[in-house]
Amino acid sequence: MLRILLIDDTPRKVGRLKSALIEAGFEVIEETGLTIDLPERVEAVRPDVVLIDTDSPGRDVMEQVVLVTRDQPHPIVMFTDDSDPDAMRQAIRAGVSAYIVEGIQAQRLKPILDVAMARFESDQAIRAQLQAREQQLAERKRIELAKGMLMKMRDCKEEEAYTLMRRQAMSRQQKLIQVAEQIIAMNELLGQ
Amino acid sequence: MTDSATAPRTDALAWVAGSDAPEKSTVNLGFLPLTDAASLIVAATQGFAQPFGLTLNLHRQNSWSGLRDKLIGGELDAAHGLYGLIYAVHLGIGGSPAVDMAVLMGLAQNGQSINLSAPLKAAGVTDPEALRDRALQSGAQLTLAQTFPTGTHALWLYYWLAAHGIHPLEDVRTRVVPPSQMVAHLRAGRIDGFCAGEPWGAQAIAEDVGFTLATSQSIWPDHPEKVLGCTRAFVEQYPNTARALVMAVLEASRFIDQGQENRSSAAQLIAGGEYVDAPLASIEPRFLGLYQDGLGNAWQDAHPLRFFAGGAVNMPYHSDGLWFMTQLRRWGLLREDPDYLAVARAVQQTALYRQAASALGISVPESPMRTSILMDGSCWDGTDPAGYARSFALHALADDPMVQAL
Repeated sequence: MLRILLIDDTPRKVGRLKSALIEAGFEVIEETGLTIDLPERVEAVRPDVVLIDTDSPGRDVMEQVVLVTRDQPHPIVMFTDDSDPDAMRQAIRAGVSAYIVEGIQAQRLKPILDVAMARFESDQAIRAQLQAREQQLAERKRIELAKGMLMKMRDCKEEEAYTLMRRQAMSRQQKLIQVAEQIIAMNELLGQ
Repeated sequence: MTDSATAPRTDALAWVAGSDAPEKSTVNLGFLPLTDAASLIVAATQGFAQPFGLTLNLHRQNSWSGLRDKLIGGELDAAHGLYGLIYAVHLGIGGSPAVDMAVLMGLAQNGQSINLSAPLKAAGVTDPEALRDRALQSGAQLTLAQTFPTGTHALWLYYWLAAHGIHPLEDVRTRVVPPSQMVAHLRAGRIDGFCAGEPWGAQAIAEDVGFTLATSQSIWPDHPEKVLGCTRAFVEQYPNTARALVMAVLEASRFIDQGQENRSSAAQLIAGGEYVDAPLASIEPRFLGLYQDGLGNAWQDAHPLRFFAGGAVNMPYHSDGLWFMTQLRRWGLLREDPDYLAVARAVQQTALYRQAASALGISVPESPMRTSILMDGSCWDGTDPAGYARSFALHALADDPMVQAL
């Protein structure tokens, strides 16, 4: 059974979404208002989906969403009455997986949440790939920078510089990037 | 995937930027704490993968069965693997339902050993004849360990025993023990000997609990040993990732074999707590081909553990894959002859390997078969695997599949 952390930010609708979710077969943990610390609640409740029901997603709401997305990414679905495209864009940018304006019907909840979770998973995968690629490129650049410094210091060719760096790294049970950073740091220290 | 070789690419970045970029840029690689995992450890830590657009994350496993489960389950994308494990899983006799598997490349040749306990040494059981006498005499059977029921070490052990007239399934008891636990089992007297990869044979000698009776290269000089394995689904879903992975590991293999200094530093790296986690003194000598057997003999081995040899180690020969199937058949682990060649062609990823090696300017043999002479004088060239499986005096062809004590 999917566990949902329901943040009810609209006193007007209290109970309606909750009963619809329970009717649709979800386990619901409800919180009222966004005065709570959302990242802390997500950590404690460990929900499958975070569902925020709000009249209009204000800055406070968005800040909380950004924090969750950054530190402990979860599928976040936002139900709102605010059909302003800017608000929607802002919410998506903050990390909301699905933004639903009005019309909460019990039979629609399940597909909405399924889509939100699938969307979240694919976003996460893309994000991880991008991060890995960025890190690869960053490491490559640092290693090449260090290699260049070593070539100058030792007056040697590229391949020899790589080999020297690798032997040094391996004999100290380190990664090549660690030795590269040491060379760069030493070079800075010597002011070359 | 095509059979045609691609033109050599000198600029690795062009490879990444083009349409051949890896579909998946992070690869989870499994390995067991063994010296023959060195090329994977070096590839992952020494900057060999980034130029091909890959990040390799190493995941040490405790046992071959654990590695098998994670490989099949997808937790690991590819792994340091036993030929016997990959083929057994593919054929559905590896302790799990059949899953289509792939051998991307060979990782190493040679470098395994059969070791016996200190009490056997004290009793004068220090050569094959004495071992046969001891095995055939009445009384408690000897217990010899290997690392996986259908694994490579089981097959080396069986081959060696049978070549000396000891039936491995009748004259001794065998059991499975993860390689890194062999020395502790030997010390505790739970086993009388074992066949495993290094450094565990050398470590048994260093701890004075055993000695080396035979090396695997004395069974078959330059025999295929570990492979880089994955599921077929992985190669089909991520062909560019698989090719980039082979290229990164090829570069690392070439680097390790490029002279004594590189080898010594590689030995120092893999001794680390995150990798093989064993004393350098037990790793380095045999890693450099220097053997001593614990009986007072020392030699520089003519066929030591090797990772590259100009690419000869890495070509996934069909004949290498076929050989392991013939031995699985010989010992009754396969109840009937599989379609040997069709299975080997499906598992050995020679086309992908050819692309990867050619792109790095590494020569690839024309024929997917090679010819070898084994210790008992038998010639293996990949032709007539069914006949070869039946050609041995000692076998278990007609018997029920043996029941392994796990």
